[in-house]
Amino acid sequence: MTLKTMLFGRVYGFASVKEVLAKANEEKSGDRLAGIAAEDARERVAAKIVLANLTLRDLRENPAVPYEDDEVTRIIQDDLNERIYASIAGWTVSELREWLLDEATTEADIRRISRGLTAEMAAAVAKLMGNLDLITAAAKIHITAHCNTTIGLPGTLSCRLQPNHTTDDPDGILASLVEGLSFGAGDAVLGLNPVTDSSQRLGEILRRFDEVRNRWEIPTQICVLGHVTTQMESIRQGAPADLIFQSIAGSQKGNEAFGITAALLEEARLQALRDGTATGPNVMYFETGQGSELSSEAHHGADQVTMEARCYGFARHFSPFLVNTVVGFIGPEYLYDAKQVTRAGLEDHFMGKLLGVPMGCDACYTNHMKADQNDIENLATLLTAAGCNYFMGIPHGDDVMLNYQTTGYRETATLRTLFGKTAIAPFQAWLERMGFVENGRLTAKAGDGSVLLGEVRHG
Amino acid sequence: MDRQELKEMVAQLLLEMDKPQPAKTAGSGDVLPDLTAVDLRGEYLVENPVNGEAFRRLKQKTSARLGLGRAGSRYKTASMLRFRADHAAAQDSVFSLVPPSFAEENGLVAVQTKCRDKEEYLTRPDLGRRFDEPQQAVIREACGKNPRALLVIGDGLSSDAILANAMDCAKAIRQGLKTHGIELGKTLYVQFARVGASDHIGEITGAELVCMLVGERPGLTTSESMSAYITYMPRPGIAESKRTVVSNIHRHGTLALEAGAHIAELMVTMLEKKASGVDLR
Amino acid sequence: MISVGVDLGTSTTQLIFSKLTLANTAPAFTVPRMEILHREILYRSAIHLTPLLGTDTLDAEAIAAILTEEYRLAGMRPETVQTGAVVITGETARKENARAVLEAISHLAGEFVVATAGPALESVLAARGAGAESLAKSMGKRLLHLDIGGGTTNLALLDAEGRIVQTGCLNVGGRLVKLNPDGVVTYVSPTLFGLDTPAVGERATPESLAPLLAQLVAALEEAVGLRPATALLRDRITDQTISTQPPVEALSFSGGVAALLDEKEENWLAYGDLGVLLARAIAASRLFTLPHDLGRETIRATVVGAGNYATELSGSTIFHRHAVFPLHDLPVAPLEKENLADGIRQGLALHGYDVPIALALPRQEALDYDGLTRLAETIADGAKGQGREVPLVVVLEQDMAKALGQALATLVPPEKPLICLDGLYTPPGSYLDLAAPVGGGTALPVVIKTLAFV
Repeated sequence: MTLKTMLFGRVYGFASVKEVLAKANEEKSGDRLAGIAAEDARERVAAKIVLANLTLRDLRENPAVPYEDDEVTRIIQDDLNERIYASIAGWTVSELREWLLDEATTEADIRRISRGLTAEMAAAVAKLMGNLDLITAAAKIHITAHCNTTIGLPGTLSCRLQPNHTTDDPDGILASLVEGLSFGAGDAVLGLNPVTDSSQRLGEILRRFDEVRNRWEIPTQICVLGHVTTQMESIRQGAPADLIFQSIAGSQKGNEAFGITAALLEEARLQALRDGTATGPNVMYFETGQGSELSSEAHHGADQVTMEARCYGFARHFSPFLVNTVVGFIGPEYLYDAKQVTRAGLEDHFMGKLLGVPMGCDACYTNHMKADQNDIENLATLLTAAGCNYFMGIPHGDDVMLNYQTTGYRETATLRTLFGKTAIAPFQAWLERMGFVENGRLTAKAGDGSVLLGEVRHG
Repeated sequence: MDRQELKEMVAQLLLEMDKPQPAKTAGSGDVLPDLTAVDLRGEYLVENPVNGEAFRRLKQKTSARLGLGRAGSRYKTASMLRFRADHAAAQDSVFSLVPPSFAEENGLVAVQTKCRDKEEYLTRPDLGRRFDEPQQAVIREACGKNPRALLVIGDGLSSDAILANAMDCAKAIRQGLKTHGIELGKTLYVQFARVGASDHIGEITGAELVCMLVGERPGLTTSESMSAYITYMPRPGIAESKRTVVSNIHRHGTLALEAGAHIAELMVTMLEKKASGVDLR
Repeated sequence: MISVGVDLGTSTTQLIFSKLTLANTAPAFTVPRMEILHREILYRSAIHLTPLLGTDTLDAEAIAAILTEEYRLAGMRPETVQTGAVVITGETARKENARAVLEAISHLAGEFVVATAGPALESVLAARGAGAESLAKSMGKRLLHLDIGGGTTNLALLDAEGRIVQTGCLNVGGRLVKLNPDGVVTYVSPTLFGLDTPAVGERATPESLAPLLAQLVAALEEAVGLRPATALLRDRITDQTISTQPPVEALSFSGGVAALLDEKEENWLAYGDLGVLLARAIAASRLFTLPHDLGRETIRATVVGAGNYATELSGSTIFHRHAVFPLHDLPVAPLEKENLADGIRQGLALHGYDVPIALALPRQEALDYDGLTRLAETIADGAKGQGREVPLVVVLEQDMAKALGQALATLVPPEKPLICLDGLYTPPGSYLDLAAPVGGGTALPVVIKTLAFV
């Protein structure tokens, strides 16, 4: 294993694989805040050169957090198919990159190799890829999952309808819900972030979602994104839930900050399969985002791209239906501007797919970040080209509860038209039956939520 | 046409008559109306809705940008511009400074964290929680030794929030404490402040209780929202869960005066129970 | 919070117990906002005939016995009941000893149980108990709720947002004529003057009663605005009727007669009164040409309203010191923005300097700290004449009571009781009952006894 290289006549040396991974990262303010970023542009390239020549074995044997100390590392390592790993252990990261981009490499080939990859390998190869590389490689991979419907099939682009409200007012939520549906949002999930994390509140909203879904016979999934334990309690009390949501991190310590362990997530998954309303088998929904480990001081000195990849390695253990990076939510101390957010979104999507999880993206930004709506429209367009499973759908892109901006109902609709994609087939059929979409285009009724409001009862 | 349809048609006509008519000739003296003065909740721009009145009523219950029509699959110009205007207000509020006159005119003692400018403030939260030696001396001088309660105003992520709410709230806190026999000393104003700056102030002064009013990260609905973080025995490293937080203080949320009265009573309770945050329950 | 509702009606007496669940509905990390989140009915009494001594006197002892027995059956004691209302409705309110009976019973029921009468409150309670508010809101229509009981029909007009905007009351009911099992008329209410009434002792048939029923139904149609108003309507009005401009768009029904609307009762004499025939006549009338629905409650609407909806909560950031709760029957002194201090002085002069009155502040323009201080000074100045031991009570709608209370606290004598409440709409002419604070002292249960709507 070589951790030194000559560049422009100067020797650049690194103390560990972890340091190489960190310094090979494209520039991120979070790595700088952590004090692990490359000193300058040349050192960054030197680290990339060293990384390109490391083998996959080097990466497996040097996880970002030691096996003994961390259950995320243990799950990722123990889940590998050893036979497949053995067949690629001698590849360099450079070879993996070129193999992924090779026209002769099929989707089936990648899905097979994926079973032998650890998170550090996925992170390493992402660091050697340009943005268009990330798009090209990701576009080859389709990760599908089935809850009540199947997400991720070629030719589809889905949307999570996120009808958040500042006080969880049922009428206010309903207004956002029906308008979103009329725009074709909601085939991924009807999923609300509640203001109050109580099992009673979750139950109320889930029942409301269930009523709307049953009233209009909408083929989709429902979920209220409380803490996993609150959702479990709510299901115990009889609430109808298809998916169980949780934010996850790339280290055990990071997960502890979220109040979760692998055992708890497995218990939740089994409960959803047993007492949930979904067909399954995929009943979990995870959110991630670069920088979350650093913010809870659980990054173990590793960079935020590597820690993010570890989230996906951890996530795949639970066969999720939805995984999305909330890429611009965390703030400028981790992702400074639109350039860094765009890069992170493409990295996350690629790494997630490479590790076999069905990836979506909350392409978003906060108001203390140097980014605006144009930037996330760009990112969503790039990710659609990369074959992203789903985006968020929020009224006009403005989340009045979480106080950030993301993609609106119209973005998914526009991107479907531009790229010749549709919603998930049964949902698309529902849109056509309701008259919101005809021949793949929005009709005059689209955007009129009032179509879905109840008729007045006459005597 | 039944009675209902007729009624809706009349209502629609009346609505249109009420709308301001575009000026026929836009001379140099004409001014376009303020886009941001329109209450979006009352706006309903969907053409030929099936049950528009029912949707308009639901829409009243949320500040979400709904019922705004579309241009193809994209946004109407007006709603797009309104969004950009609200974002502009939010960004300006984050990236602008509270003018120096604010501290002077209100008799506040102005100090600054280790951050040198907004850029550094936004990317280095660690520096926004600490004061250098000369600033520590100013704080020590202004607050004295071991005060029972300290009131601190910090710019945080919104200068608008501070200008709109901080002084009314601070005065109400001062009055509320006075009814319980607690006199506050000088109020500090901290530039480039993170909430953790109150912990360093606690350490520097030995204060028993520190209340920090700080500008929240603006959303598009308002750029003027302020929070209060109140911490019993604040010292660097204290868990965030030990703080009591009162957020959403602005003219459309909890009014600054009423919030101040509420905060004052919270502070009295905290001094009695010698606790804040999760320990207060 | 356990609440009781008692309805002493023309024909029936009923009682319910319910549990009102209070919760802080504000998001975490904001100032609290206590609300009545759930209203769960724990116990519904049997429906008793209202005991009378002769035709003009309530049988107070028999009524007390019914209540005592129902409390026992429900496993409740007056001490455990924290709030609620006893309402005396319809013709019963006109009995000679009504007031005395009402007061005796409300004491029996619990300390903070409000004794009340008056058609306006009845109408409000019946409409709320029947769920008319959510019905109007979900229909999005201007809805008239009709609670058709034994003696009267209570009207509550709701706007499309589900707010009650007006009330009224008519002498139209099922028990204005009573008959024995053979169809012989035993009682005719004097309120039916001018109509084609049968004579006491006469043997009536559906056919012979048809003209009277047609007149009663026509009076309802006039009230709804489906016919031009005539003397028929005017002579039935007990205090007022509702405005039919803009027109009523939908109807909902409750009350004993409404309970018969869905039933196909074959025997018109089943209840020994006009009820079955009146229900049939309504179902065949113009009233049913409008969109209409039965209430969530029918015969129990008023009692459910009394138990579940009589009590409301003040805002949750309020101020009170040295006050002894409960406080009963505080008259509301409505104040104008101009000459506020004079308005307070007039209120004190009118109601007396030794009794607590509720000073209802008008809406304030956005206040800053100095404006708040001036407002507090004006109030303190105006109230100077009030007795030092009499609580100064200020109520308003806007959320600013705690700040105002703290400002007032520094201006009035330190030992003077002071209560400052927000989140309350108090129409002129109303009276307030205030109970001890709930929710960790954050909010007060309040009953606003509205005698008339503006």
